[in-house]
Amino acid sequence: MLDTKKVGSVMIVGGGVTGMQTALDLADSGYYVYLVEKTGAIGGAMAQLDKTFPTNDCSM
Amino acid sequence: MSFEPKIIAFCCNWCSYAAADLAGTARMQYPHNVRIVRVMCSGMVHPEFIMDALSQGADGVMILG
Amino acid sequence: MTLSEVTGIAGDAGNFTVTIKEAPRYVDVDKCIACGACTEKCPKKVDSEYDAETGKRKAIYVKYAQAVPLKYQIDPDACIWLKKPGACGFCEKVCDAGAINFNDTEKIHEINVGAIVMAPGFETYDPTDAKVWGYGVFPNVITSIQLERYLSASGPTEGHLVRPSDGKPVYKVAFLQCIGSRDENLCGNGYCSSVCCMYAIKEAVIAKDHVPGLSTSIFYMDMRTHGKEFDQYMERAKTDSGVRFVRCRVNGVEPDGDNGDLRLSYVNEDGRQIEESYDMVVLSVGLQTPKHVLELAKTANIKLTADNFAATSDFAPVQTSQQGIFTCGAFAGPKDIPHSVVEGSAAAAAVAELLAPARFELSTDAVFPEEREVAGEEPRIGIFVCHCGSNIAGVVDVEAVEKYAKTLPDVVYVERNLFSCSQDTQEMLVQRIKEQKLNRIVIAACTPRTHEPLFRETLKAAGLNEYLVEMANIRNHDSWVHSANPVAATTKANDLVRMAVAKVTFSSALQSVSVPITQKGLVIGAGISGMTAALNIAEQGFAVHLVERTDTLGGNALNLKQTWSGEHIPTAVSRLIEQVTNNDKITIHSNSQVTKVEGFVGNFKSTVVDEKGVRTVIEHGAGIVATGAEAYVPTEYNYESITSVITAIQFDKLYELGEMHVRSANNFVFIQCVGSREKDNMYCSKVCCTHSVQSAIALKKEHPQRNIYILYRDMRTYGQRESLYREARKLGVIFINYELHGKPTVTENGSSIDVEVWDHVLHRPLKIQADLVILATAIRPLEDASDLGKLYKVPLDGDGFFQEAHAKLRPVDFSTDGMFVAGMAHYPKPIEESVAQALAASARTVTLLAKQEIALDAIKATVDKEFCDGCALCVDVCPYHAITLVDVDSMNGSGEEKIVTVNKAQCKGCGLCQGTCPKRGISVDGFTMKQINAQITAALAA
Repeated sequence: MLDTKKVGSVMIVGGGVTGMQTALDLADSGYYVYLVEKTGAIGGAMAQLDKTFPTNDCSM
Repeated sequence: MSFEPKIIAFCCNWCSYAAADLAGTARMQYPHNVRIVRVMCSGMVHPEFIMDALSQGADGVMILG
Repeated sequence: MTLSEVTGIAGDAGNFTVTIKEAPRYVDVDKCIACGACTEKCPKKVDSEYDAETGKRKAIYVKYAQAVPLKYQIDPDACIWLKKPGACGFCEKVCDAGAINFNDTEKIHEINVGAIVMAPGFETYDPTDAKVWGYGVFPNVITSIQLERYLSASGPTEGHLVRPSDGKPVYKVAFLQCIGSRDENLCGNGYCSSVCCMYAIKEAVIAKDHVPGLSTSIFYMDMRTHGKEFDQYMERAKTDSGVRFVRCRVNGVEPDGDNGDLRLSYVNEDGRQIEESYDMVVLSVGLQTPKHVLELAKTANIKLTADNFAATSDFAPVQTSQQGIFTCGAFAGPKDIPHSVVEGSAAAAAVAELLAPARFELSTDAVFPEEREVAGEEPRIGIFVCHCGSNIAGVVDVEAVEKYAKTLPDVVYVERNLFSCSQDTQEMLVQRIKEQKLNRIVIAACTPRTHEPLFRETLKAAGLNEYLVEMANIRNHDSWVHSANPVAATTKANDLVRMAVAKVTFSSALQSVSVPITQKGLVIGAGISGMTAALNIAEQGFAVHLVERTDTLGGNALNLKQTWSGEHIPTAVSRLIEQVTNNDKITIHSNSQVTKVEGFVGNFKSTVVDEKGVRTVIEHGAGIVATGAEAYVPTEYNYESITSVITAIQFDKLYELGEMHVRSANNFVFIQCVGSREKDNMYCSKVCCTHSVQSAIALKKEHPQRNIYILYRDMRTYGQRESLYREARKLGVIFINYELHGKPTVTENGSSIDVEVWDHVLHRPLKIQADLVILATAIRPLEDASDLGKLYKVPLDGDGFFQEAHAKLRPVDFSTDGMFVAGMAHYPKPIEESVAQALAASARTVTLLAKQEIALDAIKATVDKEFCDGCALCVDVCPYHAITLVDVDSMNGSGEEKIVTVNKAQCKGCGLCQGTCPKRGISVDGFTMKQINAQITAALAA
């Protein structure tokens, strides 16, 4: 990898729980993150769920 | 004149305070005579707070956590 | 970047150029304050995607109430104006913020990135085309995602479960499993979606909570509740909630009369044809990769599996076929929330390994002016009353509030703002703080939960300590909830402002504590998980200690031959061992165990002792528990007395060696769930079904005339493993279901073994003469796991595995900061899940190690030495073990006395100590007794 200089930024496609977790961890470890989401807001499918196992926590 | 109680509610920042915020977002209507004190956890509410509230004229105290 | 899609990717790992198309929102996000006035006036209603078509939304809308960003958008397909300019435009007229922009256009962005992560997720299967379920024809046939919306308090019926056809209450619901999964005929999705069994149970239980007396039946082929604590949940659903489980495949849904009822016909387990009538039928729809994602995969040129998920190796579960492009979540195979979150972190670890040389090159830190000392000053309070457009000002008489606020003690300045949160107001705030020499600020606006961070930043920018601001929530807690009573709302606004003033008067400047971090990692356990985690931390550039209690690296994987997808385990393990051994950032401590732990996040000191008793103290900033699990040694099925009854791991060895007895055997019986899913071990060991099926395939392929029986309770070849189950059945492996109350019996009969089991198809006991019986034995937690748990103050669950901080959202974190878990120490799991979790734990570890120090919130408990008498009541109640009792020289010089001290790094500011202390000896900064007392007094002063 001597030939190309590495860029310290990352693009994440998808703003659901998975993409958000990746974004948070990378931003917390020193990288600039672009989070690209197709719809008008992040949250993904989990935001549609009412409650989740096992604690019946609200999914928000 | 009908009795209008004064109520002090201690709300945990992480749950009941957030719930009160959401009640607003949802434009739910509820009686106006409750005053919310935000705490970081309902466990923070010292018994003295409850006594103080009651002795200073509160008719009821709620601790929501 | 919302409303955005990737249209082009060029370049290589480390340096990509990506083209992104951003669709117009028609709403200026910098101006929109999400008041909702536009939506109220918008005349156009369409089906809401968020509510899965169960409810309506307007043409101008937010996706959902808690959306981030909380900004409205216009749907160009529905908007009247955008179709015919001049025709409507109500939203533009009512928007006080002037945020509507009908001339907004599509934008093309080009960004330069070092790596790409594909986490585009899934869509649920649309059962319309299959026709047989009557979806789209009978209104009372709904999908599981629609049921979620009906059950949700924010859904179309506010959580009341009623029939879509007539709004009547629901008494009897059927859930049909595997709709769009495990079904090659109707939809072509041969794989198992892995999540539907569990969500159906959850929905059934919650629906029962909503409607007392509701009858719920789940029609299934196999209940695949293989996740952590899932089987216990299913048992509770059966016994406590009374959810009915019926093992059968229902072939279709028909109308029952013309009142909206639905008829199901099926063959029950006794072979009888049954017909039942239901009010509502819920289709447990599977997950699939959406079309636009398939196109994205093409754009990125990454390989897909036969099931249309991203192809990965079991040893690199987040690496796609393209260098520099990673994947995670449901696109990398159907999976549940915790596993998706794990993979999310794992992808971060993989990216960080690739881009380690470029860390901190593009990230930025904000710079603030020096803080002004205000401790000696008299309070000079400034109050800013927000109109929030018409959200507050439309109900509360803000001029009256302004006038009233001026009368309050120590208030020297009051101003009203149209939007206190807007960017220009922040600049104005900074100016006012400076020119009016304000040293306490009250913002009467919305909730501190969303906006306090913004105003704190503004205070910092003005050179004022960020903790000298208090918010009065006159919107969420006032104007929005008392809109029918403006007079009372105004009185309440005055009260809330008075309370905030009373509190802020006693606020003091707080300094956030920062703790230096030892930038080294510790990994306990050198199996696949531990080695993977250690290697990733090292490759990211940090020193790491790897502690292993045996003399060899490799752990349980040393006994395994191949992963479910057929990758050779010994090759991968030896490569991993070599990499770990040769990495000079990794220090291996073999034959060693942790015996003592001191410290906390950022600064742990773990003492490790080797077999000769030599002690080493390791300083580390964070740690990973990857101690694994062990194989259960069975006592059932005469394992101890019959030599031809062996465990699956023994079988693997004998088979590989070509042992005589195995080679010549013709009749094989596999018995599943040996030691799993019963009594005190009510959990699924997750890997055994797949392993038995794989072994059966190998045996059958070798000699097709062999008779192979698999006796199972539920065949749990979840996800894309289903292809193995299909293959085994095609090859003629015989699968016989047994129930817990009718376990098979195994007895020796001369040179062969008699296995007896109840046959559900023939309805009589079946006797199999077996040459070899293979027991699919359970995975057990380590017996001494609790010893390690106590050292690091991390808990175990009821089964004896380590307990993560949150089952869904923090699947590798412990509740103790700085400690993480990976692999089978957490729960039985196959290799690719262990690797993902190990990478995830590494990513989480590095979020700490990458920093020189951690800045902690300043809301912490502080001891008042004058009042604390060392009674230590607070020590026991502190949930974070942050308080200790120490001896100090007494203040009046009369020798030693006891007092408590708070470790600020461990304290979370919950204030349990404050609530417990009888002497006002300890209180939480920002929420002191004095502050809250003042608030109470102010609340009741009027």
